[in-house]
Amino acid sequence: MTINWLAFVTVVVVALIGACGIVGLFSLGLRVGDSEVPVRRVAAVALYVLCGAIVLFGIWLIVPFFH
Amino acid sequence: MSDSSAVDLTLLVVLVIGLALLFDFTNGFHDTANAMATPIATGALKPRVAVGIAAVLNLVGAFLSTEVARTISGGLIKEGDAGVQITPELILAGLIGAIVWNLLTWLLGLPSSSSHALFGGLIGAAIVGAGTGAIDGGVLVSKILIPAVLAPLTALTVAFLATKLAYAITKKRVRDRFKIGQVFTSSLVSLAHGTNDAQKTMGVITLTLIAAGFLDVDAHPPFWVIAACAVAIAAGTYAGGWRIIKTLGKDLTDIEPAQGFAAEASTTATILASSHLGFALSTTQVASGSVIGTGLGRKGAKVKWGTAGKIAIGWLITIPASGALAAGAAALAGLGTWGVILDVALAVGAILGIYLWSRRDQVTHRTFHQPQPGQFVRPKKRKVKP
Repeated sequence: MTINWLAFVTVVVVALIGACGIVGLFSLGLRVGDSEVPVRRVAAVALYVLCGAIVLFGIWLIVPFFH
Repeated sequence: MSDSSAVDLTLLVVLVIGLALLFDFTNGFHDTANAMATPIATGALKPRVAVGIAAVLNLVGAFLSTEVARTISGGLIKEGDAGVQITPELILAGLIGAIVWNLLTWLLGLPSSSSHALFGGLIGAAIVGAGTGAIDGGVLVSKILIPAVLAPLTALTVAFLATKLAYAITKKRVRDRFKIGQVFTSSLVSLAHGTNDAQKTMGVITLTLIAAGFLDVDAHPPFWVIAACAVAIAAGTYAGGWRIIKTLGKDLTDIEPAQGFAAEASTTATILASSHLGFALSTTQVASGSVIGTGLGRKGAKVKWGTAGKIAIGWLITIPASGALAAGAAALAGLGTWGVILDVALAVGAILGIYLWSRRDQVTHRTFHQPQPGQFVRPKKRKVKP
C-alpha cells in the first residue's frame, strides 16, 4: 500500500490556485465593471477574457485529443 | 466446448452488454447532480435546460475520450494469470449489484459514486467466484478508501476559500451576475464527466467481448460500443436524477449564485488537477465536498449536517452493499444458465420495484422553484418632479 502524498499535496495546491484564480478574476471583473466609467468597463472585459482563457485551458485539459 | 455452452456464452455477452449500458444510464442520471445541482439551485439554468446541456456535453465527452481502461477493476482485483480470470458471469453479477445499488441510492437521493458501486459489485462477485484472496487490499485502501476521505475534504477547503474570496471582492448588487459564470463552470464539470465515465462502460463491454473471444486481445472498442455508451450516458444524464439534484442543490445548504460559481470552479479545478497530477478523486465526492465548503464559506449560510451525515454513510456502505448484492447474484450465476437468467429476472424485478416505489413521492424538474431573473434588489429610480 503506497499513497503518493506528494501527488495529493500537489493536487490540493493546484486546485486551490485554479479555483481561487478563476473565482478571483471573475469577481474582480464584476467589481471593476460595476461602474459607468469606460476605462473600468474595458478592464472588466479584459478580466472576463482572462476567465475565458482559463475555461479554454480547462477544455484543453479535458479533451485527451490535445495531448 | 459443446455447442450449448457456446450459445450460453453469446447469451451471456448480450446480457452483459445490456446490463453495462443500463449501468451507464444509471451512471449518467446519478451524476447529473455533480455538475447541474448548483446552477439549477441558483436559477442560473432552468432545470430542463441544465440537464439538456449536461446530456449533450456527456455525449460529446464520451466520443472525445480515446483511452479506455485496460483492466476492469483498475488493479483492485488480481486479474490475469496470477489471479482470477474475470469471467462474463462475474461481470454480470458485478453490474447487477452496481445497478441495483445505484438505483437504491437514487431513491434515497444520495449522491454516491457510481465507480465505487461498480468496483464494489466486482469485488463482491470476485470474492464469491474466487475467495477473498482475489482482492488486492492495498489497492483498495490506497486507491479507494483514502481518496474517499481526502476528496470531500480537499474540495471543501478549496470551495470554502473560493467562496470567501468571491464574497470579499464583490458587492451584493453584482452577485447575481455570477449566474453567467455558472453556465461555463458547470458545463466544464459535465464535459469532464463525459470523458471520464462513459469510458468505464466502454472498458467493461470491450473486455467482455475480448474475454468471450469476439475481439482480439489488444482491440480498441468498436465504434458501436463507443456510440452505444455515449448515447446511454447522455440519455441517463437527460433523465435527470432529480432526487440527487435536490439533495445537493437544496437540502445540504442554500446556495446563492456566487456560491454556486465558487463551488463549481472548485469542483472543476479539483477534478482536473486530480486527473492530471496522478491522484484520482471521485467526482461525486468532490462535488459534494464543494457544496458543503461553499455553505461554510458564506456568512449566514447553514450546512445541514444531518444530510451531510446521510451522504457520508451512503459513501461508507456503497462498496460493501453493492458487493453484497453482487455476491448474491454471483452465487446464483454460478448455478449455470438458469441461474444467470434468474439473476437478470430478479434484477429487472428489483429495478421495476424501485421505480414503482419512487412514484410514491415524485421529484421532478418541477420541484425546483426558480428565482426569477431581476428579482434581486435594484436601487430605486427617483421620480422626476413635475
